Amino acid sequence: MGLQCFFGGTTIQTLRMAVIPASSSSRFIFGKPLSKTLTLNSLSRRCSSINYLKKPPFTLLIKAFSSTAEQTAPSTESVENRMVKPQWKAAIDFKWIRDNKDAVALNIKNRNSNANLELVLELYEKMLAVQKEVERLRGERNVVANKMKGKLEPLERQKLVKEGKNLKDGLITLEEDLLKLSDELQQEAQCIPNMTHPDVPIGEEDCSTMRKMVGSPHEFSFPVKDHLQLGKELDLFEFDAAAEVSGSKFYYLKNEAVMLEMALVNWTLSEVMKRGFTPLTTPELVRSSVVEKCGFQPRGENTQVYTVEGSDQCLIGTAEIPVGGIHMDSILAESMLPLKYVAFSHCFRTEAGAAGTATRGLYRVHQFSKVEMFILCQPEESESYHEELIKIEEDLFSSLGLHYKTIDMASGDLGAPAYRKFDVEAWMPGLGRYGEISSASNCTDYQSRRLGIRYRPSESSTNPKKGKGKLAPTKFVHTLNATACAIPRMIICLLENYQQKDGSVVIPVPLRPFIGGLERIAPKFPQDE
Amino acid sequence: MGLRCYFGGTAIQTLRMAVIPASSSSSRFIFGRPLSKTLTLNSLFLRRNNVNYLTRPPFTLLTKALAATAVQAAPPTETIDRGVVKPQWKAAIDFKWIRDNKDAVALNIKNRNSNANLELVLEIYEKMLAVQKEVERLRGERNAVANKMKGKLEPSERQKLIEEGKNLRDGLIMLEEDLLKLSDELQQEAQFIPNMTHPDVPIGEEDRSIVRKMVGCPREFSFPIKDHLQLGKELDLFDFDAAAEVSGSKFYYLKNEAVMLEIGLINWTLSEVMKRGFTPLITPELVRSSVVEKCGFQPRGDNTQVYSVEESDQCLIGTAEIPVGGIHMDSILVESMLPLKYVAFSHCFRTEAGAAGAATRGLYRVHQFSKVEMFILCQPEESESHHEELIKIEEELFSSLGLHYKTIDMASGDLGAPAYRKFDVEAWMPGLGRYGEISSASNCTDYQSRRLGIRYRPSEPTSTNPKMVKGKFTPTRFVHTLNATACAVPRMMICLLENYQQEDGSVIIPEPLRPFMGGLGLIAPKFSRAE
Repeated sequence: MGLQCFFGGTTIQTLRMAVIPASSSSRFIFGKPLSKTLTLNSLSRRCSSINYLKKPPFTLLIKAFSSTAEQTAPSTESVENRMVKPQWKAAIDFKWIRDNKDAVALNIKNRNSNANLELVLELYEKMLAVQKEVERLRGERNVVANKMKGKLEPLERQKLVKEGKNLKDGLITLEEDLLKLSDELQQEAQCIPNMTHPDVPIGEEDCSTMRKMVGSPHEFSFPVKDHLQLGKELDLFEFDAAAEVSGSKFYYLKNEAVMLEMALVNWTLSEVMKRGFTPLTTPELVRSSVVEKCGFQPRGENTQVYTVEGSDQCLIGTAEIPVGGIHMDSILAESMLPLKYVAFSHCFRTEAGAAGTATRGLYRVHQFSKVEMFILCQPEESESYHEELIKIEEDLFSSLGLHYKTIDMASGDLGAPAYRKFDVEAWMPGLGRYGEISSASNCTDYQSRRLGIRYRPSESSTNPKKGKGKLAPTKFVHTLNATACAIPRMIICLLENYQQKDGSVVIPVPLRPFIGGLERIAPKFPQDE
Repeated sequence: MGLRCYFGGTAIQTLRMAVIPASSSSSRFIFGRPLSKTLTLNSLFLRRNNVNYLTRPPFTLLTKALAATAVQAAPPTETIDRGVVKPQWKAAIDFKWIRDNKDAVALNIKNRNSNANLELVLEIYEKMLAVQKEVERLRGERNAVANKMKGKLEPSERQKLIEEGKNLRDGLIMLEEDLLKLSDELQQEAQFIPNMTHPDVPIGEEDRSIVRKMVGCPREFSFPIKDHLQLGKELDLFDFDAAAEVSGSKFYYLKNEAVMLEIGLINWTLSEVMKRGFTPLITPELVRSSVVEKCGFQPRGDNTQVYSVEESDQCLIGTAEIPVGGIHMDSILVESMLPLKYVAFSHCFRTEAGAAGAATRGLYRVHQFSKVEMFILCQPEESESHHEELIKIEEELFSSLGLHYKTIDMASGDLGAPAYRKFDVEAWMPGLGRYGEISSASNCTDYQSRRLGIRYRPSEPTSTNPKMVKGKFTPTRFVHTLNATACAVPRMMICLLENYQQEDGSVIIPEPLRPFMGGLGLIAPKFSRAE
């Protein structure tokens, strides 16, 4: 990669030169890094023939950088520094990455990630060096400023004024470099995936291990239909009209399918609420920055995300995004944790690149209803909450009488945010295969470092040496998300598993109180009669 | 308007010239003229026509669609091919009726505060008819020439006929091109013409609207009342602040009992309306922009209420009326299927552009909300009684929730283009201290069906001409469409919270909703305040 070579070469040398202790003739030393660092600017592919003096003050931004890991600004304000990319900063622990280089490199390999760790570390070292040099120059500038406070010969003062001006010019240039390095570092480092739980099987999807298998495929004494045929005969869906009105992979639900969706949402919410989760309905349009912070890519050719024209808003692909954002940029009290939410939303996905995959009927659609669980907790507890989430899923699916297996997904199949992911695949007799109906991920601090969600440990758990009344330092929460019910996939399972010889479909007992006591979806018109 | 002058001038004359009966010999000359003249007519449409006519797609196909005047041009999936033509779809507007009822239409345009240009529409229409007639004439002439060439001919005579035929063909191509453009221009202008207005609708601005009915009276409170925003804050029901960060202003999360209340309202409303014979639906919330237009909404422009998706022709729906209206698009229903009554649940998305400064506190005006919407497709003779049925259902629903409300027959100046008549319901919101619109029921007669292409075929015995041959299909007619809010969830939540608030800060759930909320009868504060 061209960038890497560049960093390995000229600019590193430039810096070494700049770090040479400067005598009072620092003016000369600045002559050099100034011109050299300008070539460094060209890294960011924008020619920097900018009037440095007209720029907004850098000190504010530098402040954010020196504390490395801060959210730069609330997203509502980020519009103003549009020239800077990316517009938000993940609180990535670069020092940790450097100190655990081999583990991170192995993880990147295991996750099939295209993150460039070498480049990240080079940028990081470079940034640290520039940071150090900036500190040194500031010190020197202060020295000059102090000298000028006393009585001076006019000649001496003139010399100091000039020296101060040179120092200032040099600082501005270096601070500019620092900004760009920091942005470049962000951009590269954001590609690094979360670390992986030690028990996760290493390899591609076929290495995934089965954690649990419940039930067995239902035996049918008659030829089974798939949900599409059942839906047609029972007048439950309308795909053809939706193709005209909206496009392919859209649908209307009709008659009992509407009641079934409402019942599934209602039953799932009430079951999960019983377990101490706070119910939510969420915005379905969110700023694209929030989508990014949750670890999704709202842009690019193969994005799954619908973007609104003439705005920075996207349609959510999952309620995980708005629920993840609900505590964005805030510090929670330890006593508030864990926060457990169960959110109902519609989800929208372009399904770009999904052509050719199993897309029959309701299996892969552009819009669907979903009930999603989300937990924010202390780091020590995320693993046990992950177990809790998969257990809730299993309880729900078992009480609907499904045959399913729970899978510990292999490293190569994990998205960047997940530390570990359990999928549930249920038997769909009409489609004649298992299909994914839920996914439970522990994202540890991957999302919270991007969303800026911290908590302040209570006094007792902090270092006893610390003075009383002094606040404990904040830590990042861990986040977990898990599907409670993805409605269309669940409708597939219920229709295909509970179909009867006479063409009707039996409603599982737990859902009946939520569907007006309905026990069976019967054909509206007797067939062939 | 420049366009109008132009039409009134040169081009009309050009046509008159072209209509002079042509002798077989001099027809070449006659064509020389309209050809050049009609080229200037082409320039009307701001595209210079340096096109090789021979490499063009065949016009006959398109002309066919035009000759049948009022037919949907093509299914929307195919319109991509003819991207040069605007608009991409055609409303089956009855131009002859408009011409024959010019005064009534003009008065209606005025009463509706519409900026439709009726004069322009009629001028383009007459012009189009004239070009159409001329095209017919030239086709006949071309056929005559073709027939002459079938017999034995002197070589010089044949050569002459060939040349004549070629000239006729060139002339036809030009005129057919003009016809296409005139037809598009006519569509574009005519689509601005609003629906006619029910004779009982009060004429004038919103203040002329008439109260049809008033139910109940404002509840008396013996304590200082709160608005829904304060109640929601104290009962931990909403989160507007987080939504402002995550999504923008006027977005919100519902939380705790508000979630159950939303689902309870949807479920109760659906089941009540289903009891009355409506088929429940859940609809797509992304639809093609053409469907939005066909329902009478404007998906483009500065002040559009419609969110569009980047790099696609899809929009987010502002109401389920759009996807439900589209469900029978481009189809002919049998009379026995009518009326079709749907009750649809969807989320709705609105930009609320230009709504800054309007009453926007809390849940009243938001970018996204849940709504249950009723929609009826019926025979024209029955739309008025179905309109009454819809407003009656709304009133029954709101009464059984114990609301104080009034039903309003909206004045002509306040009707959207598709509505023939509109009844709004405004309910008392004690916290906001005013009445607020909670529903709207519109009879759109055939305004939407003429755009969406929804017809039905009357059954034989009733409406057909007895002279007609048995077994022959009766001609199709356009259905009438009606839409009405069954429950706009956030507005209903405002009503319930503000009307049923108690002195202790709790809110009572109306009886009918309780079975749909797990028996919950009261939303109580989570933490006792100041204790």
